[in-house]
Amino acid sequence: MTLKKYQQIKLAIVIIISIIFSQSIIYQNYLIPLTTLVVASLILIWLRRQVKEVIADERDYILAGKSASAAIQIYSWIAVVAMFILYAFKHLNPVYEPVAMTLAYSTCLLMVVYSLIFKFQNKIKFTPSKNKFLIIIIVLSVVFGIFTIRLFSGEDNWVCQNGQWTKHGNPSFDAPKSICK
Amino acid sequence: MQTKIKEYRAKLNLTQDQLANLVGVRRETIVFLEQGKYNPSLKLAHDVALALKTSIDDLFIF
Repeated sequence: MTLKKYQQIKLAIVIIISIIFSQSIIYQNYLIPLTTLVVASLILIWLRRQVKEVIADERDYILAGKSASAAIQIYSWIAVVAMFILYAFKHLNPVYEPVAMTLAYSTCLLMVVYSLIFKFQNKIKFTPSKNKFLIIIIVLSVVFGIFTIRLFSGEDNWVCQNGQWTKHGNPSFDAPKSICK
Repeated sequence: MQTKIKEYRAKLNLTQDQLANLVGVRRETIVFLEQGKYNPSLKLAHDVALALKTSIDDLFIF
């Protein structure tokens, strides 16, 4: 298989995944996108092995690094500006505040993960004490994982019970205006 | 940076694709190298020089 063919199939798979994901969100089915993702990954791995040409070389890796860095910076700026705007107008809609908080925390998390990976790559590539840094990264990943789960677990939220919105924990925003069924 | 890659490639009757396959890079990288638009790593410079049966000093003009 040629590289061009592989890239065309990859693009087609990405489009199919996007369609399936959006439809699954509408129908609130989470099993289909998960299965799709696994199947698509396996197909892509198999297709990748069929390509005999060089898919990426050192120039691509340099460009990928620069692109990743630019993408992180652009996302961070957009997220921070959107966060401030949503937070400033939180009185207009109670949904704005949690969205703003999600953007703020996701940006912080992205920065931290980026810094950790950078540090990790730097140490792994240029020092012999790989195990020590591997352990530190695993421990920090677990801590951040727990923090993230706690943050998005919905502990402090409004729960629909017997046709009424009831406080669960201590949500920082007003009850949803939608009808509780 | 200038290079004599095109010259040496012509001497050996190699296409850009063939040279790319020999050194394990994409053809575009060879194109950029020939145009002097990309500074290769020491390893890539060495590999290209080896494939073209010459030395880095002869191939790249710094």
